Amino acid sequence: MALLLLAGSLLLYLAARVYALTAADRSYDRVLAGSALSIAETLSVSGRDVQVDLPYAALDMLSSAPEDRVFYRVFGPGERTVTGYADLPGPREDARLLAAADSGTSHFFDATYRGELVRFAMLGRKINEVDASGWVWVQVGQTRRAREALASELVLGSVLPITVVGLFALLLVWTGIRRALRPLVRVGEDISHRAPADLHPVAAPVPAEILPLVDGINSFMQRLSGNIDTLRTFIADAAHQMRTPLAALRAQAQIALDEDPAQQRSSLRAIDRNAARLSRLLDQLLSDATVIHRADLRRFEPFDLVVTVRKAMAEAVPRADGGSAQFDTPLATAPMSGDEVMLREAVKNLIDNALRHGRTKVCDLAVGLYSDDAGYRIEVADRGPGIAEPDRERVFERFVRGDSLAPGAGLGLAIVRQVVSSHRGAIRLRDRDGGGLVVELVLPADRP
Amino acid sequence: MTRRWAAFAALLFPLASMAAAVVHDYPPAGASDSRLTIYGNTDIALFEPVLRDFQREYPGIAVRYEELDARPLYERHVREAAAGEARADVLLSTAMDLQVKLVNDGYAMTHVSENSRALPAWARWRDEAFGFTFEPAVMVFNRQAMQGHPLPQSRGQLLDLLRVRPKLWRGRVGTYDISRSSVGYLLASQDVRQSSEMGALVETFADVGVHVGENSAALLDRLESGELAIGYNLLGSYARSRIDAGAPLVIVYPQDHTLVVTRTVVLPKGAPNAQNAHRFLEYLLSLRGQEVLALRSGLPALRHEFNGRYDRLGIDDMHVGLLRPIALGPGLLVYLDAQKRSRLLSAWRAILAPPPH
Repeated sequence: MALLLLAGSLLLYLAARVYALTAADRSYDRVLAGSALSIAETLSVSGRDVQVDLPYAALDMLSSAPEDRVFYRVFGPGERTVTGYADLPGPREDARLLAAADSGTSHFFDATYRGELVRFAMLGRKINEVDASGWVWVQVGQTRRAREALASELVLGSVLPITVVGLFALLLVWTGIRRALRPLVRVGEDISHRAPADLHPVAAPVPAEILPLVDGINSFMQRLSGNIDTLRTFIADAAHQMRTPLAALRAQAQIALDEDPAQQRSSLRAIDRNAARLSRLLDQLLSDATVIHRADLRRFEPFDLVVTVRKAMAEAVPRADGGSAQFDTPLATAPMSGDEVMLREAVKNLIDNALRHGRTKVCDLAVGLYSDDAGYRIEVADRGPGIAEPDRERVFERFVRGDSLAPGAGLGLAIVRQVVSSHRGAIRLRDRDGGGLVVELVLPADRP
Repeated sequence: MTRRWAAFAALLFPLASMAAAVVHDYPPAGASDSRLTIYGNTDIALFEPVLRDFQREYPGIAVRYEELDARPLYERHVREAAAGEARADVLLSTAMDLQVKLVNDGYAMTHVSENSRALPAWARWRDEAFGFTFEPAVMVFNRQAMQGHPLPQSRGQLLDLLRVRPKLWRGRVGTYDISRSSVGYLLASQDVRQSSEMGALVETFADVGVHVGENSAALLDRLESGELAIGYNLLGSYARSRIDAGAPLVIVYPQDHTLVVTRTVVLPKGAPNAQNAHRFLEYLLSLRGQEVLALRSGLPALRHEFNGRYDRLGIDDMHVGLLRPIALGPGLLVYLDAQKRSRLLSAWRAILAPPPH
């Protein structure tokens, strides 16, 4: 910006200087031409000799440039000097000189004489006498000191005010920006001086221009505060949830110690069941934490949903039940952009749930993947008891189980919802024709 | 080559080269090789106090003053400069026009100081030519010779006086020979420019058989002795020192206009002792130098600090009419123009030539 300003100033200066030099030349050239003319007026011819009576004013008028040296020469016809400095340099362009002389005006040019650049005016008079005929030239010159001084004055007079105004404007802009940004500094100080846990909205008054920023900060802090609250609740819940199976384990173990060996076997079985449940709970907690972490990251990459669902089935359905689970899709591939690991986890959870809760007499597990305008639809259907209408919202909450008898930590559907919402999708529960529950995931395609 | 050219020039200008300079040497107080050479046309008798006082300020400088007339002075320097053998450090002349020509033709060195800036604008040109005195050109009368006649106070009154009884004044009016005196030529050319009565005056001078002198001293001698009754266009400073010495002379400043000449200094380029040259000029322009000029040399000071002391310096303010200082500047070149000069001189000679018998 400073460079731009400098370049602009330089350009301005050069333009002003060219203009000023032209203006200075124009005004002083007039005097020079007047001087040449006043000398030419006194030209006379007597016999073969050209006579000139140099008027006092001819040179005195040039003292309007008081510090400049003055040279003159009257010569002609030919190169014969009539009077003045015989060795003055002539013009380079004879054609223009003659054109000017023909129209009775002076021709101007610069030439170096006696070590200084001199501005010359040259005026021609045609004489036609018996003994002398041809052009007689009057050449008057003046050093350029006054012209340079006038030009400098003009340049200064034009550039200086502009520069001053420019600097003033710059100052104004600078203070203006500082004033305008002061509320931002206040907001910054407000935030940096806070205690780490203080996530209250910024209260300092701010101008309308930076209101969006402060609103952004405030809503961010609100979300952060919400997340932290969720985390606290989650930890408290997790601790609470783990305490119960652990307490049960200890109780059963103590009972087992006091029992006779015949009964110990059934106690051990109970311990094993409880341990398995605890282990599953930990798995799910871990999975939940992973999902939350990945949802925050939002590291989306392109992948094929068909492959993902197949993998999920392969991992979640035990070998023994392989025959009873069916995967139905009309799609050869289902490209989408998202977190493949999370989605696979979600589908696995659904299948797991279906196997766990939906297994009555027959295991009729159906997994489907379809495509429509909204995107992809994944359906997982079982033949279990289903979930009653009023409970359908609650089952997505953490640690809530649809059926308190069945083993499970109550995290499965909460995890699924987390995954689906981080992909901006939706989750729905409905009854299956002929009994059972269908869980429907709708995912926007987000094709890469 | 330059030496041969100089020899050739000496042949070409026999008069100039023969116009012998009178050399005055002022050795320094102690042993020193610091020198200063001045070419000047001011009478050494007037100028010596200045040189002595300068040496009091700079005791180590050996001063040489070469006194010669204004035109030979100009020609000698131009010749020496062309030969690359400039010898003068200071050129000092009453011929303001010739000094201006030296500056115009690029022979001069620049000198800028507080003192030089204090000069009035007309007494300085390009920071290269500097006037340092204020010398009106006056009419001088012999008191006895004018007994019974009113003292003319202007050119018009002088004209009337001479016209009434031309025979009475025959041979008793003197002025400069403008063909030989440079300051005379300068004054006459300015008279021609400024006064409408000049033509008539010169014709009347011819009628009374005017005596022309080459310098002030000779004219003032004749005025003092009573041989001349009226002197026209003489430098008041010279007349003043005569009056102070008891001469029966009266100074009149023409009321129509009084021309003022200033002795002009040019420091030549290539001066062998340039530093001393600047010192000397600075001294001349300083208040100390100006005071010595005024009080001991009788050359009126130029600096405005001395305004109001004219009575002591030879000019009574009450009797001074229109003072017209001749300004240093390119206008002075006009009358140095070869054609212009020869025209003016031939007119002068034609008028003053003794009528054929």
